[in-house]
Amino acid sequence: MSEHGLPPKSSIKRWLVTTNHKDIGILYILTSLFFLIFGGTLALLIRLQLWTSGEFILSGSAFGQAVTAHGLVMVFFFLSPFAFGFANYIVPLQIGADDLAFPRLNALSYWLYLFAGLLFLISFFQGGSLEAGWTMYAPLNLPTYMPNPGASTVVGALLMFVASVTVSTINFVVTIHQMKADGLSLWNLPMFTWSILLTVWMMLIAFAALGAALLILGADHVLDTVYFTEVEGGSLLWAHLFWFFGHPEVYIVFFPALGVMLETFQTFTGRRLIGRKWVILAMILVTLQSFLVWMHHMFLTTINLEIKTLMMAMTIGISLPFDLIVFAMIYTLIKGRIRWTTPFLFNFGALVLFIIGGITGVFLGAIVLDYEFRGTYWVVAHFHYVMVAGGTALFGGLYYWWPKITGKMYDEYLGKMHFGAYFVGFNLLYFAMFMSWEMPRRVFTYHTGFEAYNQMATIGGFILGASFLIMFYNFYQSWYRGPVADGNPWEYSRTAEWATDSPPPLENWEGIPNYEKGFLEFVDRPEGLTDGGHGEDHHDRHPDHASIWPLTISLTTFIGLAGLMLWGEHIVYNTLFIVGLFATLVAAVGFAREDFYAPMPDWGARWPFEGIHKNKFGMWIFLASDIVIFGAFIGAYIFIRWGYGWEAWQTIPPEALPGLVNTFVLLTSSFTVILALVYAQRGNQKGLVASLIATFGLATLFLVIKSWEWNYLLPEAETLPEATIALFTFDWDPLIGTEGPALDASIQHSTYYVTTGLHAIHILIGMIALGYLAIRAYHGAYLDDEQPVENVGLYWHFVDIAWVFLFPLFYIL
Amino acid sequence: MRWASDRLAQVGEFVVPLSHAPGDEWRTQASVFEEIYFIFLALGTAVGIVVIGYMLYNGWKYSASKGTTELDDPPVLGELPRGEGGGKKLFLSFGISAVIVITLIVWSYSALIYAEQGPEEFEDNMVVEVEGYTFGWDFIYENGETSTNTLVVPEDHVVTLEVTSRDVWHTFGVTELRIKADSIPGQTATTWFIADEQGIYLAECFELCGAGHSFMEADVIVVSEETFEEMYDEFTETGSFPDPPDDLEER
Repeated sequence: MSEHGLPPKSSIKRWLVTTNHKDIGILYILTSLFFLIFGGTLALLIRLQLWTSGEFILSGSAFGQAVTAHGLVMVFFFLSPFAFGFANYIVPLQIGADDLAFPRLNALSYWLYLFAGLLFLISFFQGGSLEAGWTMYAPLNLPTYMPNPGASTVVGALLMFVASVTVSTINFVVTIHQMKADGLSLWNLPMFTWSILLTVWMMLIAFAALGAALLILGADHVLDTVYFTEVEGGSLLWAHLFWFFGHPEVYIVFFPALGVMLETFQTFTGRRLIGRKWVILAMILVTLQSFLVWMHHMFLTTINLEIKTLMMAMTIGISLPFDLIVFAMIYTLIKGRIRWTTPFLFNFGALVLFIIGGITGVFLGAIVLDYEFRGTYWVVAHFHYVMVAGGTALFGGLYYWWPKITGKMYDEYLGKMHFGAYFVGFNLLYFAMFMSWEMPRRVFTYHTGFEAYNQMATIGGFILGASFLIMFYNFYQSWYRGPVADGNPWEYSRTAEWATDSPPPLENWEGIPNYEKGFLEFVDRPEGLTDGGHGEDHHDRHPDHASIWPLTISLTTFIGLAGLMLWGEHIVYNTLFIVGLFATLVAAVGFAREDFYAPMPDWGARWPFEGIHKNKFGMWIFLASDIVIFGAFIGAYIFIRWGYGWEAWQTIPPEALPGLVNTFVLLTSSFTVILALVYAQRGNQKGLVASLIATFGLATLFLVIKSWEWNYLLPEAETLPEATIALFTFDWDPLIGTEGPALDASIQHSTYYVTTGLHAIHILIGMIALGYLAIRAYHGAYLDDEQPVENVGLYWHFVDIAWVFLFPLFYIL
Repeated sequence: MRWASDRLAQVGEFVVPLSHAPGDEWRTQASVFEEIYFIFLALGTAVGIVVIGYMLYNGWKYSASKGTTELDDPPVLGELPRGEGGGKKLFLSFGISAVIVITLIVWSYSALIYAEQGPEEFEDNMVVEVEGYTFGWDFIYENGETSTNTLVVPEDHVVTLEVTSRDVWHTFGVTELRIKADSIPGQTATTWFIADEQGIYLAECFELCGAGHSFMEADVIVVSEETFEEMYDEFTETGSFPDPPDDLEER
């Protein structure tokens, strides 16, 4: 089978341009394992430091950075991407698809992730990284209290990671809902795919909230706004935003691992899952409820007893579905033929560890006990038992799918040795933390009396770390010398990934997977491929698998963000930002102009999203996450204003009139963008171009009024940042070594400028899209395919609606 | 389920009297914590051993290497996913575990109310404001004087702490007395305690607050009522506490 423009796997170029889900999956897995080693090394440094109670190898600041980076790297850059390596590789196979719905966006998520990781690493070389813990509590996360320049870079790196996750989320939601093989309903999805589906739905909302929190934090860093230094609630605002993301994040990390456990428990016992539908319902319940428990991380703050009680009840409520899932797995063992292979050992072990993590979590759910456990090693031990139990299951998943991905078998004996060392090391390490629970978290010296436990933990940590040498050696041997694995090396496997070669061919299947008769069979591919009846004619065309633009966009974004986060520190950063910004625009146009063919199957069982074009569906999903971002900004404003005193608050614009005029301008532009769609549908080129230009013009008018208003108000808010003035007057001298911009007049100014600024950036992005559409329409595009006009129109309506909420909040109330 | 939880609650009350009507005997936060912690630990360990033991037993019993089980309806590659029966047993186990968890939490709730409100019979609570800063603690007494990194209180006396912060987020906690409260800029969290044994206790910071987090400690000195009166008088006069008696034990 030809590779359709894709260089062979031995070529480095292939790995830079590939959009194939299996290649991307491998890249995700390899990169995440690199971050595992990085985060693990930090962990061993921490353990070394704690070997004695006094000072040892790290200073207080270095220890703080190590603790922070360890948490962020393991949670963001290892666990989730590791799981999504499998999701990339396995989910399309499990649902019988050729690839993901948006292969280029998939590559884009990977490269954004990689460069986000690099940006994070760079922060260590910028005079110190973030040292506020992975929870980044405010206001310690601000330069005022923690002046390491690298801390700002970390905020940028995390923002880039959020972008990666958002792109990935859209892709998986559309793929799983719209690309299932014929006859495979939502209900019938394999458990791993179910777990990923629920994970991405949670990601969609949770990561948007984190994105909003980081945007605000970024504004506080770069623009010197004062959201999180606002004493009447800045700290609490961060805690609410962070934990609204942070608690679902626990399930986001754990669910894919649960999916692996549910698959391997079935395969290696030779039994189907007991109470399958109840397990799925339990997982759906957890998904919904995960957004209603976040304040249990804040029991010791000033939240009142009623809300605490409600959150406690919700927390107990969310533990019960997990009870059911655990019992379902245990009962699946009964009457099985259990084969104790390495993947099963890891997954069985993971369940044991998760049970211990779960029981110790109930302790924390009882508020009166949580009062004492808060900030101690009990919490550290508990969440490692839960999160690393998830990691344990995922390592089992790596052994489970290794033969599928490489076509080689690993060595069972070495695999079992790895598990033995891993399990012993794990329990020595984390159980010792339960025993030393009276010790505060994140201290680098402690009082004598805890030494024995800390040394036990350190020994365990090194055993755990060393066990991975066995794993890497095993995989190295297997890769070069291992016996060949056939398509289905596991007895009693059921899911479709085992019904094709190991590794699968580029487009996964010889025929088309089909479940219409109640079991998997392959029907012949029709002559030429259909495109799902979306009006394009591509019958002779083969799907594309290579594009250079995802890598390019990520690289330029990386350059721009690296500059932006330290804007004003040095002319190098200012230059990087400007270069990166323009290069990203160019790359985005290159991405949009590339003729990339990724067909959708026209047979998928798609309830409840049938009949929606994938681009439109993707746009809706993106807008859903954008709603959460605006919601978080509006919520932050209301929260701060409430704390300040609603009536005592001075609204920034003295007159509502300019805002009112702007409201009408935007509403009119919503109308012209609808006109554009109508003209496109009618094939009227003149009308199309004219309405697009009219929309663009109205958007310009909006921004002109807006900037007049901003300038008019700015004298109150000190002046324009020096660096910005310098930039626009082409006077480059002050750019060197200028202070950051100064929007720091008051919290009222901060909320007004940041929120309307976020909206203005949305308008700008919309204008770039409108301008692009207008130019292409002028050259005759969109008359037979109005999809892009409709999708940009959707975005535009959303931006208008967002303004309808902002206007009364910031001008009238 | 209701019945079961009622019975269990009664058992709980028998083991740990938790009623605190005015005039009743008061209990320290430490003793409330210890007893609830003990019950949770005992039950948690028991449940953990039973469940994990049951897993291991079944893992051993149905191991393929023993070759005793034949699968009656083995799964085949490519079948549409479906579940196996056995829902009844699943729900029974689920029900039992749910009852245990809910009972424990509901039962501990009465202790929470107590921990929130404190014993009611003490009218003359001593109130001390606690202000965290990087990296230390200021204790502001009712006489308006500030003591840095030393909190002196009389034994057997209810002390209310109003905890806040001057800069970043800290958490004030004294492990041995089982008290803790977040110290957040712009917010005031309230907690209380009774120290029933004289001695010098250690207060620490429990939220990462910067490079000096590990060293952010204070002494909580618990002395007899009379010694306290003397020390407090000198504190009011000079603005700093005199050294406590030498025979105080470190706890």
